[in-house]
Amino acid sequence: MTPAEFFADHTFRMVLFGTSVIGLVAGALGSFAYLRKQSLISDVISHAALPGTLGAFLFTVLVLGADGRSMIALLTGAVLVGTISVLFANHVARVSKIRIDTAMAITLTIFFGAGMLLMRIITDRPFPGKGGIQDYLFGNASVITYADLVTSIGVGGLALVLMVVFWKEFALRTFDADHASVLGFGARTIDALMFGTIVIATIIGLKAVGLVLMVAFVVTPPAAARQWTRTLPGMVTLSGLIGAAGSGIGAYLSIVLGDVPTGPLIVLTLFGFFVLSVLLAPGRSIVTRALERARARRRLKAELSAP
Amino acid sequence: MPLADDGGPAARVTNLSVAYRTTPVLRRVDLDVPRGVVMGVVGPNGAGKSSLIKAMLGLVPPLAGEVEFFGRPLAKVRRRVGYMPQSATVDWDFPTTVRDVVTMGTYGGLGWFRRPGRPEHERAEEAMAQTGIDALAGRQIGELSGGQRQRVFLARALVQAPDLYFMDEPFQGVDAKSQQAIVAVLHLLREQGRTVVIVHHDLATVRDYCDHVTLLNQRVIASGPVAEAFTKEHIRSAYEVAAGDDFLEFTA
Repeated sequence: MTPAEFFADHTFRMVLFGTSVIGLVAGALGSFAYLRKQSLISDVISHAALPGTLGAFLFTVLVLGADGRSMIALLTGAVLVGTISVLFANHVARVSKIRIDTAMAITLTIFFGAGMLLMRIITDRPFPGKGGIQDYLFGNASVITYADLVTSIGVGGLALVLMVVFWKEFALRTFDADHASVLGFGARTIDALMFGTIVIATIIGLKAVGLVLMVAFVVTPPAAARQWTRTLPGMVTLSGLIGAAGSGIGAYLSIVLGDVPTGPLIVLTLFGFFVLSVLLAPGRSIVTRALERARARRRLKAELSAP
Repeated sequence: MPLADDGGPAARVTNLSVAYRTTPVLRRVDLDVPRGVVMGVVGPNGAGKSSLIKAMLGLVPPLAGEVEFFGRPLAKVRRRVGYMPQSATVDWDFPTTVRDVVTMGTYGGLGWFRRPGRPEHERAEEAMAQTGIDALAGRQIGELSGGQRQRVFLARALVQAPDLYFMDEPFQGVDAKSQQAIVAVLHLLREQGRTVVIVHHDLATVRDYCDHVTLLNQRVIASGPVAEAFTKEHIRSAYEVAAGDDFLEFTA
């Protein structure tokens, strides 16, 4: 398939642009989750988004009597419950002697369990517009519609704008939380904004990528970008670009190779970026550090063994 | 002018008690920090030195008690109060440069939304020069030595230009050169009439760095000018050591 043929196809274009937008937003905002050492929070969010999405579906169908496929309604439910899960995990870690990793795992499983229950309820009954609701589990990039793309750009753009507007506060709180508090920047406000943007970054990819693999979009690009950069703006920018490029390349390959699921191929592409970064980035990576060390030792040996 | 207001102490702590879960770490602390002094907060491990500072700055919720700065609650005078935490409290692998960290000291004055501009960057350069880290401005903070890290934190506090500084173990893990640079800044601040509270570990240097001292062991054992408060008797009582050993040689 030539690139011209590829871009002539509406579905292919939607898959490519849709996943690239998801990769860009998730990569950029994932940097803050990475630096706060809560990379896995996006896994909690994506799993908690399932009951959020399905709850919103039921609410729309049963209470409002409207079409259950309304993207805005489902997104709202996902964001709402996703945010609650983040607050819940952090709250458990704060008030109990449970550490954050355990708190996140517990949160993830109970929300996901609730989601699976709702899923069963929905699949067993003849609700209108329930087709495609299983896509939230494993994702299906080929169903990205033009409206979905516009919604992702709008909602993802909003999250990126929030990040830019509160850049100084995000950086301050991420680097030194106590210092931010003493300077008078309320921790709760900043956290609500920051985790709100991370929730959005996670949620916009659910339908295309699926909740199981979505975490890779939030975690892998920042981990790769961190190897190459020394500043926060550099890291966030590069991470967003790696996310977008990895998603675009993965989506392209999945279509060109034919009948290969898009999400998994993107995850593999992102992993490729990650491996290259960890091996080759100057200064921090395995290969360059080993080379530097060998060179320095050789020099030292020559110096010390000189007569 | 930094000092034009009610003329009371720089900080006043009244009946402050703090507990972590069920363990009390501070019991009914009453303390005045007079203006223009360098006050050392000294005591054994677990005496609550850091907790005292953190509770005063609202970072740890107190069980009871009140804290005022320049006669007012912290929320009204945040810009006049600076904080230099222990350097081990942050991740030094954070992707940022010395210049960016020091500039963060200006954020409090900027408030929400406003970004640092040229005046803020100029103040950051000055503060870096004052602490002798201007040559390191573009460095990634992870490349710095322990002493250089402390000086970065000191510069970040200086750039805020507060009237009252809280420094938690500024000499922790510091080389001789950095120690000298930090002491020079302390003396300069005192000359400018600023007030500094330092949590300090090394009893031997208390007399060199501090005019006032507060001996703390969950409660205030003694607080006042070094000559009055920093006595063998008080130190023994704070450190719970018996009379007759020679570990207090330098105090006499």
